[in-house]
Amino acid sequence: MIRFKCNGKAVQLEAEPEARVIDVLRDGLGLTGTKEGCGRGECGACTILLDGKPVNSCLLLAGKIADREITTIEGIASEDGALHPIQEAFLDKGAVQCGFCTPGMVLSTKALLDENETPELEEIEEALSGNLCRCTGYGKIVEAVREAGQRLMHESDQQGDA
Amino acid sequence: MRYLKPSSVSEAADVLESSRGMILAGGTDAYVYMAEGFCHPETLIDISSIDTLRGIYVATDDREEEVIRIGACTTIAEIAASQDLPTCLRQGARAVGSPQIRNLGTIGGNVCNASPCGDTLAPLLCLDARFVLRASGGTRVIACEDFFTGPKKTVLKPNEFLEFIELPASSCGKASAFRMIGNRKGQAISQANASVSLVMVDGRMSDLRVAVGSVAPVPLRLGKLEEFLTGKRVKEVSLAMFKEPILEGIRPIDDVRSSASYRQEVTVALVFDALAECASKDSGECEGAGA
Repeated sequence: MIRFKCNGKAVQLEAEPEARVIDVLRDGLGLTGTKEGCGRGECGACTILLDGKPVNSCLLLAGKIADREITTIEGIASEDGALHPIQEAFLDKGAVQCGFCTPGMVLSTKALLDENETPELEEIEEALSGNLCRCTGYGKIVEAVREAGQRLMHESDQQGDA
Repeated sequence: MRYLKPSSVSEAADVLESSRGMILAGGTDAYVYMAEGFCHPETLIDISSIDTLRGIYVATDDREEEVIRIGACTTIAEIAASQDLPTCLRQGARAVGSPQIRNLGTIGGNVCNASPCGDTLAPLLCLDARFVLRASGGTRVIACEDFFTGPKKTVLKPNEFLEFIELPASSCGKASAFRMIGNRKGQAISQANASVSLVMVDGRMSDLRVAVGSVAPVPLRLGKLEEFLTGKRVKEVSLAMFKEPILEGIRPIDDVRSSASYRQEVTVALVFDALAECASKDSGECEGAGA
């Protein structure tokens, strides 16, 4: 039995501690937004946040997430279905083509923007260096990250004014 | 396969002694080895959540000397971000894998996997690191330069694991730098890397250490080059003078990532570049843990 927090909710499920977290999420919890590309920690399609930090869920054994908090792509939008500003910016900037890398890209972006809403180009490239995209050429993804940072900043300004 | 998560180093040592299982830290390399079928451990002993194996702090070593102690399960990301460690080690950590890998992977894992291209190995070698190895009977300490015996081979016995890495407290007073070259910027494995540490005394290089990786079965100190450079001003030396002492010291091979001749060429440039960075800084570059 493994207990952890997933997308804000306490989870308890039967899983072998040596199972991969990506399998626990997809097969155990039905959270299929997390994608498996290489299965070797090279491509980043399986990126999730572990205590707020991006990690490869294909390299992570279930025993390691006991009592910790993970966020998957399913935990990014609001419960009412409203997209997160990062997701909106990816759509608006055309940063999604086939979409397979997108969940991982969005989560790496979230980890970056949680720390810094106005990253420099180099910081964006560094933050996304563990996420491969074979469609977009990255240009539009970088634009989307910048745009998302601005929208988040605008949002927190408005909340500050209210 | 059994998965065990001991809560202390003594428990881990006892479990390792009785099970002869495989020590698991961050798991980023270990998982790939298992998935590729290179190893089939019956027991995995996950030491990554043992509190005493995490963190960077000042301590006193077995010789009663002050050291900077790094827990073996401190993540590569924590090493890269620490203001309490010499520059070359932070730069080496930043060169490892991707952000995702650095958040899981540990410095102890990078050391104990003993890949010739591990990016923290040359920095540790040029900082005179010592490794504290733990077994159920107690600990022993071994110098970094005696630890690696071949590609993915170390002096670790089946019942031992790395507990701490210790750097002389004086390493924070040195200027240091790391350079690597890979196929691309992110997620790249070193085709060659180099690390230099030194103290400038009246504009002259002293207490110099030069270490290189990915150009021999184990990370190497370049003693001849150190000797040649000691006492000289940086302005007096040129890249051409480096070539002979470096090429004499290294033994690169042709492999999937690079050719031996390319490795020779770039190693000379990497060492020169790292040296130039060191010389451009005043010594005394980090605060020292807990200072």
